[in-house]
Amino acid sequence: MREVIARIFRIGLREIGIFSHRPMYLFVILIAPLLCLIYFTQIMRSGTPDKMPCGVVDEDNTSTTRSIVRILGSMQNTDIKAHYGSFSEARKAMQRGEIYAFFYIPRNTTDKALASRRPQISFYTADTWYAAGSLLMKDLQMTSELAGLAVTRATLSAKGVPTSLMMGILQPISIETHPIANPGLNYSVYLNNIVVPGLFFLIIMLFTAYTIGYEWKMGTQKELFEMAGESSTIALAGKLWPQTLLYCVLMTLIDVYFYKYQGFPLNVSLIRILCAGWLCIFASQALAVFFFGIFLTLRMGMSACSLFGVLQISVCGFTFPLTAMKPVFQYLAWISPLRHYYMLYVNQALNGFKLVYAWPSIVALLLICLLPLTMLFRIAHAFKYVEYKP
Amino acid sequence: MNITKIWYDELRTVFHDVGIILFVIILPLAYPLLYAYVYTPEVQRDTPVVVVDDSKSTLSREFIRKVDATPDVKIVGNCLNMNEAYAMIEQQKAYAVIHIDRDFETALNKGRQTVVGLYCNMMSMVYYKCAASACSNVSIAMNRRIKVNNYMRPKTDREAEIMATPIDYQHTPLYNTQSGYAAFMIPPILMMIFQQSLFLGIGMSMGRSREQNGGFVIPLNRYYRNSVEIVLGKMLFYLMLYIIHGLYAFVVVTKLFDLPQLGHYWDFILFFIPYITACCFLGMVLSYMIFRREDCMLIFVFMSLPLYFMCGLSWPGSAIPEGIKYFSYLFPSTFGLNAYMRISGMGASISDVSFEMKGIAIQTAVYFLIACLIYTKKLRKALHRQT
Repeated sequence: MREVIARIFRIGLREIGIFSHRPMYLFVILIAPLLCLIYFTQIMRSGTPDKMPCGVVDEDNTSTTRSIVRILGSMQNTDIKAHYGSFSEARKAMQRGEIYAFFYIPRNTTDKALASRRPQISFYTADTWYAAGSLLMKDLQMTSELAGLAVTRATLSAKGVPTSLMMGILQPISIETHPIANPGLNYSVYLNNIVVPGLFFLIIMLFTAYTIGYEWKMGTQKELFEMAGESSTIALAGKLWPQTLLYCVLMTLIDVYFYKYQGFPLNVSLIRILCAGWLCIFASQALAVFFFGIFLTLRMGMSACSLFGVLQISVCGFTFPLTAMKPVFQYLAWISPLRHYYMLYVNQALNGFKLVYAWPSIVALLLICLLPLTMLFRIAHAFKYVEYKP
Repeated sequence: MNITKIWYDELRTVFHDVGIILFVIILPLAYPLLYAYVYTPEVQRDTPVVVVDDSKSTLSREFIRKVDATPDVKIVGNCLNMNEAYAMIEQQKAYAVIHIDRDFETALNKGRQTVVGLYCNMMSMVYYKCAASACSNVSIAMNRRIKVNNYMRPKTDREAEIMATPIDYQHTPLYNTQSGYAAFMIPPILMMIFQQSLFLGIGMSMGRSREQNGGFVIPLNRYYRNSVEIVLGKMLFYLMLYIIHGLYAFVVVTKLFDLPQLGHYWDFILFFIPYITACCFLGMVLSYMIFRREDCMLIFVFMSLPLYFMCGLSWPGSAIPEGIKYFSYLFPSTFGLNAYMRISGMGASISDVSFEMKGIAIQTAVYFLIACLIYTKKLRKALHRQT
């Protein structure tokens, strides 16, 4: 036992020696994740995008329509960027990317409204900008609804209905939304909690496959195998432990930055979400070893890791729900560390639910960690007989 | 005619190297299909929601029935109290709870305002959007009916209609008419794939020549004597290859997955050639960092997501901090993603994307110069070593 530990330790020291000769390593596993962390929290520091450019086409141009436009301008998400003379001018501005939506009030709107001839106003959103389009849509719909209610309000007060009763007539049912745990609809909380670990896991997978395959590339795989006493387990454990330590420290930094410095919602103790992060680090490494074991070449191992690592950011389902995707991706998600991290994060950090409801993810992660066992024999064989192919 | 020789050399190298083929041919052809397949369901429907109906009245049941009837929401259960509903949320059997107050109907009949609570698990904005828009649409419709029937006393059906909505309104989503996910994600992803695969391919080809030529970035033979010729020769090869990929994305992928297609070929080509040229030159500049074949994957793969967020499509450009906005102008993808999205998805002409085209033109010129300088330096070093 003591000899095994000594071997693992010695291989680890050799690995650190390799690291010290390649500054690029430092960039990829240390600087890049930290840069991503700062970049993503900075880009979304406003939380929710507000005051987005919107256009107005007011063909009627009466005091009534101007007050509608003023209401629109006072909405949180809307910034009335420009007034256009006609519909097609506004559409052209949209094609130039100057506005994400516009409000269209046709001629004679006020006339028709006063004469009870039911005019129609309309609003157009460019849903090619999905978030901007749907956020602006909410404001535009609200404004349109209020325009109609203003007419009703005037009619009712002409009929002598007192102001105190007005709300019960104008808006008898009102919806009160309670977004649990993220009351400000903060996109930074929603996206960064997954995007940053997602990129981190991608880098881990790539780098794990890279460092293992690098032995073959340099032709030092036999030397390593000898150091490990002809055991692929010891060779891999020795090679990976220095990185694993670094990853765990980085994950801790990321979490401390998120939950202590940025103040992201955390409804359990920090150590719980840290454990989830660490477990996912191990699972990502295990998966990378597994992919390397399948192909036994540096290039294909890394390609598989990058394919899977990038794909899992989509497939984990934090933007477009997994439940709406094709079944094949729902199966694939079971071996995705990021998917399980997302489930654990939602269950623990975001909502503080009972851990028992997240057990499938924990079991799945533990099983992913065992995946390399199926490849140990193959890798041992590769240590002896496989040579590097470009 | 050294350019053609360098061009042919690059072609031969690439087609003899499985690794580079994987990046510059298979990846640009396969990834668009994969991503389109991920996002083709386009929309989330029937988000599971539970109800806590404390009112148990005709009106509250009508409200629930109407919410259930919207395409976005499906009522999966009726809970006795909030604790029970919360347990459903914990188990992810539902993503939202609608709570209807005890005096819902009483309040409505008495002419008081009543509040319906919507509690939503914020794990995904999509679930929240579905639940919130379903409830608000149903409440608007019921409010109109209550208002007209209880207080306005219309004499004819037409009058009722006018009283319900004295000013009618209509929402038209332009260009992405179903507000789908694929139509908004895929076009920019296509352009991102092209840029990244070029970086990977050029980077790997650089790593390859460094490994094969003992650390030199160019083969030591007599064609490679002028850095402008080297840069142009290499670029021409990738440009020809990627025009095929571009047409494949513009025509085949778009058609296959029914993405919005309003662009004209001419506008597309006019945009695409400079875009790929700029990507090529930047790829050559960046490949300066690549010393071993596989290094390119370590550096370029993770960049795609930060680059995607910078371009202002999924995170609106108006909300991106100034500093990051200027930084993003360094990458062709920032302009390319926006320009392609507007050309193919919104039918913009080349003059509508003139800002982006100017950006790409400046990038092309600057990166061309830098690439030439790098090769000149390397050439000098190589010649010096040789003699």
